[in-house]
Amino acid sequence: LRLPVSWLREYVDVKASTEEIAARLAISTCEVERIIVQGVADEDGNLGLFRVGRVVEAGKHPNADRLQLCRVDVGEGEPRQIVCGAWNFGEGATVAVALPGAVLPDGHALAEVKLRGESSSGMILSERELDLGVDHSGILVLENGPEPGTPLVDVLPLSEQVLELETTPNRPDLLSIYGVAREVAAIFGGELRPMPGTEPDRIADEPVDIRIEDLERCPRYVGRTFRDVRIGPSPLWLKARLIAAGMRPISNVVDATNYVMLALGSPLHAFDQPRLAEGRIVVRRAHADEEIRTLDGVVRALTPDDLVIADAERPVAIAGVMGGEDSEVTEETTVVLLEAANFEPSGIQRTSERLGLRSEASGRWEKGVDPHLAEDAARLCSQLFAELSGAGWTGESDVSAELPGPAVIHLRPERTSELLGLEVEPDEQRRILEALGFEVSADWNVTAPTWRARDVTREVDLVEEVGRMKLDEVPFTLPARREMYGRLSHWQQHRRAVEDVLVGLGYFEVYTPSLVADDPDPNAYRIPQPQSQDMADLRTTLLPSLIEVARHNLDVGNEGIAVFEIAHVYRPTDEELPDERVHVAGIAQAPYARAKGAVEEILAAGRAVGTFTRSEHPLLHPGQTATTTGGILGGLRPGQLEGDWSAFELDLGALELGAGWTYEDVITYPPLKQDLAFAVPEEVLATDLVEAARAAVPELRSMEPFDVYRGEQVGEGRKSIAFRVEFRSPERTLTDEEAAGLREKIVAALRERFGAELRA
Amino acid sequence: LDTDALVSEALSAVSDSSTADELDDARVRYLGRKSDLKQALREVRDRESGMTLNAARVEIEEAVAARRAELERADLARALGQEQLDITLPGEAQRRGRLHVITQVRREVEDIFLGMGYEVVEGREVETTHYLFDALNMAPTHPTRSPLNTFYLDGDVVLRSETSPSQIHTMEERKPPIYMVSLGRCYRRDTVDATHYPIFHQVEGLAVDEGLTLADLKGTLQHLLRSLFGLERETRIATHFFPFTEPSIEAYVSCFLCDGAGCRVCRQSGWIEIGGAGMVDPNVFEFVGYDPEKVTGFAFGWGLERIALLRHGLPDIRALWENDLRLLEQF
Repeated sequence: LRLPVSWLREYVDVKASTEEIAARLAISTCEVERIIVQGVADEDGNLGLFRVGRVVEAGKHPNADRLQLCRVDVGEGEPRQIVCGAWNFGEGATVAVALPGAVLPDGHALAEVKLRGESSSGMILSERELDLGVDHSGILVLENGPEPGTPLVDVLPLSEQVLELETTPNRPDLLSIYGVAREVAAIFGGELRPMPGTEPDRIADEPVDIRIEDLERCPRYVGRTFRDVRIGPSPLWLKARLIAAGMRPISNVVDATNYVMLALGSPLHAFDQPRLAEGRIVVRRAHADEEIRTLDGVVRALTPDDLVIADAERPVAIAGVMGGEDSEVTEETTVVLLEAANFEPSGIQRTSERLGLRSEASGRWEKGVDPHLAEDAARLCSQLFAELSGAGWTGESDVSAELPGPAVIHLRPERTSELLGLEVEPDEQRRILEALGFEVSADWNVTAPTWRARDVTREVDLVEEVGRMKLDEVPFTLPARREMYGRLSHWQQHRRAVEDVLVGLGYFEVYTPSLVADDPDPNAYRIPQPQSQDMADLRTTLLPSLIEVARHNLDVGNEGIAVFEIAHVYRPTDEELPDERVHVAGIAQAPYARAKGAVEEILAAGRAVGTFTRSEHPLLHPGQTATTTGGILGGLRPGQLEGDWSAFELDLGALELGAGWTYEDVITYPPLKQDLAFAVPEEVLATDLVEAARAAVPELRSMEPFDVYRGEQVGEGRKSIAFRVEFRSPERTLTDEEAAGLREKIVAALRERFGAELRA
Repeated sequence: LDTDALVSEALSAVSDSSTADELDDARVRYLGRKSDLKQALREVRDRESGMTLNAARVEIEEAVAARRAELERADLARALGQEQLDITLPGEAQRRGRLHVITQVRREVEDIFLGMGYEVVEGREVETTHYLFDALNMAPTHPTRSPLNTFYLDGDVVLRSETSPSQIHTMEERKPPIYMVSLGRCYRRDTVDATHYPIFHQVEGLAVDEGLTLADLKGTLQHLLRSLFGLERETRIATHFFPFTEPSIEAYVSCFLCDGAGCRVCRQSGWIEIGGAGMVDPNVFEFVGYDPEKVTGFAFGWGLERIALLRHGLPDIRALWENDLRLLEQF
C-alpha cells in the first residue's frame, strides 16, 4: 500500500514527523518498506525553482513551426524567454514554470539552453511532468490566476511523501488510509477525525433492482443510482493523490470509486446503468458456459464456482475481481449505478487465482473487508460523484444477509501483563483498545469493531492489540528454567563426528538439491508438477549428485577434488510417507583406497565394526566395489569422470554405534610384531586370510596388510600379500619361541584353507 | 721447567687456535707424549713438583676441551647458517576439507541453544498437510496451502515448507516443559533468484513451560542474535502475523555493518530483519492437548541461509549451492 502522508494527516491530527510515524508504525502496525518522495523533490531549494508564471508574450518560434516562443513573468520584474512545444495557451495564461537548475520528478535537471537558436530560460510544465496527472497533450493552465512568482507549491500538491506499507493478511483494515490513520491515532494519542463523507441531497426516490442469489458469497450489496453525470477529468488534487497512491487517474467517476477504496478500504464499482439489461443487478454464480470480456479486454471463461454480477441477461462483472467492458463507464455515460458491496474472501481468492487475475479490489476482498463499510463507502463516493460530476442521487437499495454481530470477549487485564512479561496498567490497556475502536465495558467485556471481527475473537487477540503498542517496552528476560537439559543425542554427536572426520581427511562438504532430474530408483517419489525438470524426483541416493559436483569442479579446473554430503534420502514405502534416512556420501579424485580409508575412519568414529565384501553398483567399477556396514564404496566406474575416482555412500543410521569402550593395556605387555607375506591365488581376499588367521590364533591382536606383490616370483594367477602381524597376550610378555609357534599355526591354517605359501 | 710460563704459553696457544686442526697441534705440542710437560712428568721425583705439573696439565686439558667445545659450536652455527630456508614458502600440503557454511551456522545455532538448555530434535522433511498446516492453525484458504507455493507429492503428502511440524511432533510425544530446536531442509515453490531457492534451511525453536512470556522470547532471541552477530548488537521486535503464534512478531538486529547508522545492507534503517516468532497460539496448544491456561510458550522459525549470507557478505543465495572448491575453501 502506498500511503500519501498529506492524505493520512487529513484523517488524524498528530504532530509527529513522517519519519516518526514510519518508525512507530513499523513496530506496532505493519512493515514500512520505505518513505518515497512523490513529485518534485524537496531538497536543496529545488521546490523554490518551481513558480507560477504569467505569459506576457507568445508567438511562433522564428526557426521552428511547432515551437512557441514565450516571455513569461515569474515575479522577477524582467520576464524570461522560454521556448515551449505546446499551443494550448496564449498571452495572459497563468502557467507552471520550472527555472533552470530545477530537478523534475523524473530526475531530469533543467539547464539554460538554446533551442533552434533562441535561448530558453526555464520550462512551462504539463501535468505529467509534475506527476500530477497523465495528460501530456498540453501544458497545465492554472485557473483563478495566482500572482506570478508565487511558489508553485502553494497552489499545487507538488511534493508528497508516501509511505510504502507491507501489511499482513489479517489486517484488511490497513489497506485504507483511514485504517492506518486509526493506528497512528492510537500510537501517538492523536485525534482521529470522523470518517469522511456526507450524503449529498437525494433528488429522487427511484427503485434500484438488486437481487442476491448467493448471500454467503455476497453478504451485502448497496446499489445507488445517479443521473446527470458529466464524465470528465478529475481535479488536480484528486489526480495527484491517486498518482501518489500508485493508481492511474481515468475519469471523475472512476477516480471517485478508486479514491474511496483507497480512503476507506472497501472497493466500489460504477456501471453505466443503461447498458445493464433491464437496469437490473443479479448477484449469482456463473453458468458453466458463460464468459465475459473484462475491462482489460480479455475474454474470460467462467465456472459455476465464480461469483458474478449480472444484469437480467449476462454477467457484467466478475464479482470483486474486475468489471466487464460492456457496462463500463465511458465519456458518454450519464446514468451510473454505484456498487458498494461485500464479498466473501475465499471465493474471490479462488476465482482470482484460477483466472490469474489480481486487482486492487480482489487483493482487498481476499483478506475479508468489513461488510459495514459498504454504506460508508457509498456515502463518500456519492458525495464525490455529486461534487465532481454534478450527479444527482436518484435511488438506493441495500440488500444484505444478516450480518454477524460483533464478538464480545472477556479480557483479564492481568493476563495481558502475564503474557507480555510487562506490567501494563489497566487504564492504559483500556485507552489503547478504545483508540483502536474496541468498546470496553466497566467489567472488561470487550466488543471488537466490525473491521477487526475476523481477526480478533479471543482474549489472546486482545493481548496482542495491547502488546503491539508496547513492544519496545517489553524487557529482555530468559525463561526461569526448570527441568531443562541441553544435550546432543548420540546420533547427533555421531553425525558431527563423521562430518569432522571427513573434513580432517580433506573432504569438503557440499549441499546438493534433494530434488533431482531422474533418480535411479524407478519407484522414487516424483513431484507431480515439478518446478523444473531437473527437480522432479525425491532422491533415494546421494552419489549421482556428488558425481555432478565432481564434474562441475573438474570443468572449472579445480584439482585435488574431494567432497562429501550428509543429507536425507527418501526411500519408497507402502505407507503414505517415505522412509527418510540420513546418508553420508563422498567422492574423491583418487583410487579405491581413498574411499576405503574414508569409510574405515567413518566406521572407527562410530566405533562400528566393518566388513567388506565384493559387490556391484551401477556407478562403481565392477572389480573395485564393496558393500560394508550400511552402504557401498568403490572405484568410480570409468567413463563418467576423467581420471581415477572413488566414492562411497553409507546410511548413517545403519552404522552400529558402540555405546562406550574400555581401554586396552598395550603398555604392560607390549605386542610382538612380525611381518609375514603369503602367496595366494589371485581371487583370495586379504580379509579372508585375516579372518582365518584370527580363528586359528586368539593371541593375534592385529594383522594389517601393507603390500601386495604380483610377479614372476609368485607365479601367474597368484599374488603375495604382506601383513604386519601383532601377537599379544593380556597376561604376560610373549617369548620369541611362543610367537614362532603362533606363526606356525597361522601358516598351517592358511596353507590348508587357501593353499597359501609363506614367503620370506 | 718454568711451569707458569709453560701454562701461560699453552693457554694462549689454545685460545689462539681458530680451527680444530690448530687446536689439535697445540694439544700435541703442550700435552703430547713428547711435550715438555709430559717429559717433565715422567722425570718428576718429588711430590710437590708432581702436583704442580699435574695441576698445569689439568689446566691445559680443560682449556683445550673448552676451546674445542667453542669451536664446535661455532662450526655448527656456521653449518646451520648455510641451511637457511625461504620461510615464506607454503607449508607441506595437508589439505583439510571444510564444513559447508550452512552446517557451520547450524552447529553454531545448535550450540547456542544447547547452552541455554535446549534439546536438538530431528524432523522429517516429507510431511502430511495435517502436521504442516492443520495443526499449525492455518486457515483452509491460507496461501501457503496452495500447490503454487508448496510441493505436494500426493494428496495430503507435502514437502515441508517450514520446520514447524517438528514442534507438533515434539508436543504430541511429550509433556511440558519443552525446550527444543530443530534444524533442517525446507521446500517452497520459489522462483530461483538472488534471495530465493526452492530448498532452504530453517531453525525452529519452541519453548513451552509455565509462565513463559513475550519478554522471555525477546531475551532468548537477543541472546541468539548477539551470539551470531556480536555481543554489542541490539534486538528489537515488531508486530507481525502468523497463524500459529499470537502475538506474532518479527525480530530485527541492529545492523552490524553500519552499527545502526544506515547503509545499503539495512536499507538505511539501521535494522536488519531476521525472522518471525511469537507466543504459541492457544489453538496450537489445544490441538496437541495442552491447556493454554496452564502453559504458555514461544516459537520461532528462521532461515539459516539468511544468517549465512549476512555474516559472510554473500550477495546471492545460489552461491550456497554452487559447490565449487574455490568458494567452499573460503569458509
